[in-house]
Amino acid sequence: MITCGIDIGSVTAKGVIMDENNLLATTIQFTGYNAGTAGETVLQKLLGQAGLKREQIVALIATGYGRNSVDFADKTLSEIICHGAGAHFAIPTARTVIDIGGQDSKVILLSDAGQVLNFVMNDKCAAGTGRFLEVMARALETDLDGFGQLSLKGSTPAAISSTCTVFAESEVISLVAKGESRENIIAGIHRSIAARTVAMANRVGLIPDIVMTGGVSRNIGVIQALEKLLNLPVTVPENAQLTGAIGAALLAQRAPNVA
Amino acid sequence: MNPTEIIEQFRIAVRDPFGTARTIREGQNRPVVGYTCTYFPEEIVLAAGAHPFRLFGKSTVMLKTDAHIQAYGCSLARAVFEDALSGELDFLDVMAFPHSCDTMQRLSDIWRLNIKNTVHLDLLFPVHLKSEAAQDYMEAVLERFRKGMEQVFQVDISKDAMQNAISLMNRIRASLTALYKLRAAHSASISGSDLSHVVQGAMILDRLEVADKLEALVSALKGTHTPTRTAPAKRVLLSGSVCLHPDIHTIIEEQGGAVAWDDLCTGSRYFDVQVPEDLPPIPAIAKRFLNRAICPAKHGGTTRRGGDLLKLISTHRIDGVIFLFLKFCDPHGFDYPDLKTALETAGIPTLFLEVETGKPVDGPTRTRVETFLQILNQREAAL
Repeated sequence: MITCGIDIGSVTAKGVIMDENNLLATTIQFTGYNAGTAGETVLQKLLGQAGLKREQIVALIATGYGRNSVDFADKTLSEIICHGAGAHFAIPTARTVIDIGGQDSKVILLSDAGQVLNFVMNDKCAAGTGRFLEVMARALETDLDGFGQLSLKGSTPAAISSTCTVFAESEVISLVAKGESRENIIAGIHRSIAARTVAMANRVGLIPDIVMTGGVSRNIGVIQALEKLLNLPVTVPENAQLTGAIGAALLAQRAPNVA
Repeated sequence: MNPTEIIEQFRIAVRDPFGTARTIREGQNRPVVGYTCTYFPEEIVLAAGAHPFRLFGKSTVMLKTDAHIQAYGCSLARAVFEDALSGELDFLDVMAFPHSCDTMQRLSDIWRLNIKNTVHLDLLFPVHLKSEAAQDYMEAVLERFRKGMEQVFQVDISKDAMQNAISLMNRIRASLTALYKLRAAHSASISGSDLSHVVQGAMILDRLEVADKLEALVSALKGTHTPTRTAPAKRVLLSGSVCLHPDIHTIIEEQGGAVAWDDLCTGSRYFDVQVPEDLPPIPAIAKRFLNRAICPAKHGGTTRRGGDLLKLISTHRIDGVIFLFLKFCDPHGFDYPDLKTALETAGIPTLFLEVETGKPVDGPTRTRVETFLQILNQREAAL
């Protein structure tokens, strides 16, 4: 059965076409201001890549914060359900999924069978999310791609006490003024994100194996900071950023009343 | 009148509570007594010829309150006080504060010092409802309030007037209970949003009108009900203080669920348990307050609220509980961990949802509610 999953995040729109467990096409692009248009573009790119026509897609599920703007979807599901399914598919032993995206972060608890048992989301602010990292990168005049590697060179992570993005930016600027190295500041930023995520995870309980998904999973500095605080390995699946879209496509293969 | 027309009258009252109260005051020449909590003896106000009027806080932008109440005070107390400071509540003849939580108690003090054009009364009820003195204590507070009403309005409140008011409020409680039972049995009979508006409106509109309308609504819904759902809905219970977000009902219903019952002070805690009509009025009202569903600002034993919730879950075959937490509400915040543990031990999934009055349901809140319902759906599929 050929299915499609489209995950419209706050920063990026992701999509996959799957035939059972095989990925036929994948795409990632910026969402922009119009989530509906982004969804349409993602679908066209996927169809072109896979050489398929729309009518060959048996079922299409939209997920992510912009899911309700994808008016051509057969069904919408929350990104928590889809990330759970996607993470279980990628790593069947996964019991805890840490998903940090552009504007929110979530910890999802899975059963052995990959069913979502419980979850917790961050509060209504950008603290500890991809947006937080973007703001910090701007303050430190660097780009996000180099952020993770730079932090690994930090010998002593700087103390970042604020969890609020705006206050943390002020704190970073103060550290720069004091002459703290950029590497240590970035390592401190990653530690503060990790601390916030672990505190959130403790609200639902945390069971290994731990898997990380979402855009921030591309940042090796955050992964290592998490592993250090948890004293447990954190695995990042091969297509971590596509986890929600893959989950949506997999769930689309089930009977419509399952999820 | 058909159900939609009746429900619309309650919706209008919720949309324009102050206009509704002004109409009652001017049209019926009846003084209006504002109050903030369901531990309030509306019967005594009615017996005094006045109109009891529940305040839910309409203001969404706080221009004056910040000078009096800290930003981390609950949004309900802050909105109610902003309404008062901005002159929206000038029609109130009396403002009564039942001692519920510390925030409301402090709001009472701030109100007394700053709002000069209404008579201010406190009802300092007992907190420990299981103590031997609770009934006497409760009666003494109610008697004091009765005398306060007589003094303020220069009336003698007769026993007959009290009995009539009790009968009237019992009619309202009976109809609201019937409506809840109707919805619990057939979720399609009335939407959760409509029912939420009906309960709120019942605390705003003229009570005689409410009693008549509710009886008509129950009768009309019983007569017209035709089951429309093919699959049984996931049955959710809402627990918390106020729910002024009917959108939450809609999101739940969009996901194939339904709020089958609630434990809210804008819901079942308003009408739970009748006032016994075979007892003298004051002891009878006191008895109801001791026996009705307890709120976390009162103490009835360390396991009473958890026990009550589990009973509601069993009676109404609840699949999951959403704790609707009004941000900065200490009493509910302190109760939550124990309630969550009690429910999880019993295998009942829960969701903690933080809300504020005056702020719409946003995207992340929608995601939380949708996910919770999808988890309930997956659970069923896995069984």
